[in-house]
Amino acid sequence: MLSISGLSKRHGSRTVLSDVTFHALPGRVTGFLGPNGAGKSSTLRILLGLDRATAGTALIDGRPYRELPDPLRTVGSMLDGSGAHRSRTARNHLAWVARAGGLPKRRVTEVLDQVGLAGSGRTRVGRFSLGMGQRLGLAAALLGNPAALVLDEPVNGLDPEGIRWIRGLLRAHADAGGTVLLSSHLMSEVAEIADDLVVIAGGRIAAAGPLDQVIAGHATLEEAFFALTADRSEQRC
Amino acid sequence: MLTFPRTLVAELRKTATLPGSLAALAVASVGPLGISLLNSMGVRNALRSGQPDLVAYTSAADAVFSAAPLGTVGAVVLGVIAVSSEYTANTPDAGGGRQITATLTATPSRLAVVAAKATVVALLVLATAAVTIPVCLGAANLVLGGLGTPADVGDTVARGVGAAVYWTLTALMVLAITVLTRNGIGPLIAGIVNSSLVSVSVLLSHVTPLAYYLPDLAGMRLFADDSIATFDGALDPIPGGLVMATWALGLLAISSVVFTRRDA
Repeated sequence: MLSISGLSKRHGSRTVLSDVTFHALPGRVTGFLGPNGAGKSSTLRILLGLDRATAGTALIDGRPYRELPDPLRTVGSMLDGSGAHRSRTARNHLAWVARAGGLPKRRVTEVLDQVGLAGSGRTRVGRFSLGMGQRLGLAAALLGNPAALVLDEPVNGLDPEGIRWIRGLLRAHADAGGTVLLSSHLMSEVAEIADDLVVIAGGRIAAAGPLDQVIAGHATLEEAFFALTADRSEQRC
Repeated sequence: MLTFPRTLVAELRKTATLPGSLAALAVASVGPLGISLLNSMGVRNALRSGQPDLVAYTSAADAVFSAAPLGTVGAVVLGVIAVSSEYTANTPDAGGGRQITATLTATPSRLAVVAAKATVVALLVLATAAVTIPVCLGAANLVLGGLGTPADVGDTVARGVGAAVYWTLTALMVLAITVLTRNGIGPLIAGIVNSSLVSVSVLLSHVTPLAYYLPDLAGMRLFADDSIATFDGALDPIPGGLVMATWALGLLAISSVVFTRRDA
């Protein structure tokens, strides 16, 4: 389980997150929805031990990321595309990640197959399209066969076939008992895939709960989203 | 720290397979070899024509060690890109991500990452020096035939080790500085200009003898003797090397603390 509790983050005088609290549960796909700049990436970066919170905690099965003994086997993550250096090949990138995570080398070939990049393993990442970069990022996330997946805007740049594919992959992961937390600013995508929804706007949680509960009283997720985030936007202006 | 060996192997693989690293090591090996050959040809021609006063030195060792700054340039490039490559952003078309995200999610211990990077850079520079310097000495001796002034073997070995140490410590210093700047351009330009064209420390040494304690000048006598550069107040090899090592360790300590506390 991923537990975010009372998370706050300030950059100087600017408040990026204030008192963000929510959970992502095993067996569920949790959609983390909010406009650009709402604090989605900041929250995920703190959860993954990349940035420090000003206050509050972000725990994975009760431990901060930095204290996980085997992080890649516990949480697979993707932020901002592949995270691979342009001059590397996909295979080379995954190979050093596997080394760093103490994972067997055969996993590199397995995940390249799994994300549909088997034929592009020797291509330099600098020549990848956005969609291929997303697939490579996903391959890195899957490398350690982790129980939890934390993905920032995973459908960005994917073509319709790719979106359908990732939907199936994440659904299967959750159905097998895994935890999936994915951020997006695309409401239709989240509505298609999420069991639970967390809506963030202006660095605050506007709503959290099972999808149907959050949408309750509105015709669509889109209407619910704008109703929920309207107050925040006005406050900010 | 039980996972440090795998961090080390991962960083070795990561650094050694970066095309930029290979270019850096090529500069550090081919560069000194080329200059050593040119230097020793100059010495040979001067000696053959009976005009030894045309050249500053007449030994193969001096012909090689006056080419050592090019090895420093290669070491600087390696030290910088080992870190700056982590922060190179992909194009926005490819998500704009940086490798540091993958590095720190795979190895959350920041200290382990810095320690592994420093170890890998030191090993690669030392290995390059261990091949390059003997090859340069052999080549220079071949060019000079029996013409050159024979150098003391023990002295030459000491200077060879000294040059390797100088390259390594320089690489570690620019590595530490690049951790602080997160961008390679500044450290790269400063490091290359300072070690190959105009040394700020050498200029300062005309103003104050304290300049001999600056990082690049302190270790100068590790490989340079008076025939290469005249520094009246320069520190002797051992104390100078220790001062330089202190600079390197100090900078690594500062960058480790900053790296550990800073948002990635």
